[in-house]
Amino acid sequence: MTSHTFSRRKLVQALTAFVLMPLSLCAHAMKVDELIRHIDDLWRGETSQATMSMAVKTQRYERSMTLESWSSGKKASLVVIREPVKDRGVATLKVDDNIWNYLPKINRVTKVPSSMMSGSWMGSHFTNDDLVKDSTFADDYSSTITFDGVRDGQKIYEITSVAKPDAAVVWGKVVNVVDQKTLAPTVARYYDEEDKLIRTLRFDEVKQIGERFVPMRMRLQPEDKPDESTVITYEDIRFGVPIEDSFFSLQSLQRKR
Amino acid sequence: MSTSTSGDSTRTTGGSRLPTLIFMAWRNIWRNPARSGLTVAALAGSLVLLLLYLGLVAGMTRQMVDHATDLALGHMQLHRQAFVDDQDLYATLPWNTLKELETAFPDLSMAPRLYASALASAGDASNGVLIKAVDPQREPRVTRLLEEVREGTSDLGPAPPTDAGLPRHHVLIGAQLARNMNITPGAELILVTQAADASIGNALYQVAGVLKPIDPAFDRQGVLMSIAAFQSLMVMDQGFHELSFKLKDVSQLDAVQAAVAAKVQALTAAQPLDKLGGPPLLRNWRQIAPALADMISMYDGVVWVIGLIVVALAALGMVNTMIMAIHERTREFGVLRAIGMDKRWLLVMVLIEPLLLALISAVLGVVAALVLIKGLLKDGIDLSASMPDGFDMVGIVIDPLMPMQLEPMHVIYAALLVIAITMIAALLPSWRVMRVKPAESMR
Repeated sequence: MTSHTFSRRKLVQALTAFVLMPLSLCAHAMKVDELIRHIDDLWRGETSQATMSMAVKTQRYERSMTLESWSSGKKASLVVIREPVKDRGVATLKVDDNIWNYLPKINRVTKVPSSMMSGSWMGSHFTNDDLVKDSTFADDYSSTITFDGVRDGQKIYEITSVAKPDAAVVWGKVVNVVDQKTLAPTVARYYDEEDKLIRTLRFDEVKQIGERFVPMRMRLQPEDKPDESTVITYEDIRFGVPIEDSFFSLQSLQRKR
Repeated sequence: MSTSTSGDSTRTTGGSRLPTLIFMAWRNIWRNPARSGLTVAALAGSLVLLLLYLGLVAGMTRQMVDHATDLALGHMQLHRQAFVDDQDLYATLPWNTLKELETAFPDLSMAPRLYASALASAGDASNGVLIKAVDPQREPRVTRLLEEVREGTSDLGPAPPTDAGLPRHHVLIGAQLARNMNITPGAELILVTQAADASIGNALYQVAGVLKPIDPAFDRQGVLMSIAAFQSLMVMDQGFHELSFKLKDVSQLDAVQAAVAAKVQALTAAQPLDKLGGPPLLRNWRQIAPALADMISMYDGVVWVIGLIVVALAALGMVNTMIMAIHERTREFGVLRAIGMDKRWLLVMVLIEPLLLALISAVLGVVAALVLIKGLLKDGIDLSASMPDGFDMVGIVIDPLMPMQLEPMHVIYAALLVIAITMIAALLPSWRVMRVKPAESMR
């Protein structure tokens, strides 16, 4: 008799949980979606214009460059090298899935084939793909919050994004850590398909720009080369800059030297 | 009748009896010319097959080795370890290594090379490519690479500048790459890469010619340029990635390799190299292309195994011939035994028959194979109708015209194989004559 009532109570509990579960899942999912969209759009905004410096350190060389970039959503972006003098005017234009480079020395535009998207960009540890943000977490990865609480004295969210099976992306898994107060990312860890950590991107020097908190410096560290790194520092970034769509064209690519 | 008397008189001295036995065996063979003829035809045919196969494989092997050494590898190559491991752009050997080696080994021909990857564009097409830079003066002394031009010329010098006055260099490109990017000689090619100083190397080129398929990777992705053009694109003049050697006499390969390795060691000791590039590494073509060397030795084994099977099958005909011959003549053997012939001599007489057949087969087979190989197929087997570009085997492109090459030792071995197998096959049925009992068999 007692066992019977007990099991019935258990059943009710289970049923309640079962009914309520989708609701809690839904709330969580919404938060993840918001966070992911936030990360995707943080440096991009509707439109943006930025000046940044990039310092690359490898076993063979150290090199620093100054870059100027414009972007319009995730559709289009343009990056132009300002320094060093030797590479001044070399520009990279991304519209939808296409990337072109403009080379002022020979006055030619070349198209980067999709097979080269994972190749190094300008000798740094970033890839062409990183630069033009071709893939986004929202579209190409399925994300869940895997940690929500205090870690190292900081309230954070840890969001684990696993590549969707059919997505044409470089990484198997990306773990983003976001500060709960400012929603600024602090660390992003990139894993390959075998779940091996390949590189770590660390963010600091968070600055409030308009309503958002943006880390002004990011340091990329490849796991297999501990002596090497690429550091990008934003000297200036503005969002909501009026840019016409025609700005992101091959014609303006050649004018932007 | 004469046989029996000679048999009696020479019981102790077998030597003079042998011609008689051979004569008898010869007569016995032609008692059934159709059967003997068929047996000979089968054995000779198997020998012809074996020799054709040997000739084809030897020709192909020779072609592969020639291709590998004369077209791309040379007989030996010198690299830095890090270049061998992961094509490290910075893993170079200093230019004075080449000078020192050329002074120390005047009999060796040497060709330095440099490699890099880049992005090539022509019109709307772009493709990842592999740049190979050679010295247009030294390269022809080591390989025929620059002769293997399908269209255009092999000029690697400066090209006429563009209308806007931008300088250009000539390059040669792989056939598959030319097809994929829709490029013909005279077209402009843009190369973009990361130079050695980390700047963005970019320059204009004019395609002087299209190379024949040499190795599959180069055919798909290769862009060949002069070392001068490479150095200006890559901003690097500190050294070379690869030094290819050609010997006058390949049989001295091991000794020369040891001598050059010792000299390189001494040079490295006198002028230490940077750590990251690793130690210098001198390898001969067998070590560079172990798959090729392995395949060649494996092929040799496989040919003989297949040859053994073909000959053994043909020798089954001989087994049948002997069974029938001995069965038919049991009565005669009984008579010979009855008039006093030793049973071992009887066995010798019976075995002379297959030996004579095998010898005839060997002679006929070798002659037929020679006629075929030296006559009909002296230009090789032409597969260019179905495979105009040849085919790719362990990374070596094989010419569609397959030459036949008959090694004298192969002919001797193959003929001996046929004789040996035939004799083994004949021995089993022939053994029965040892057990012939005169009284029973004559009944």
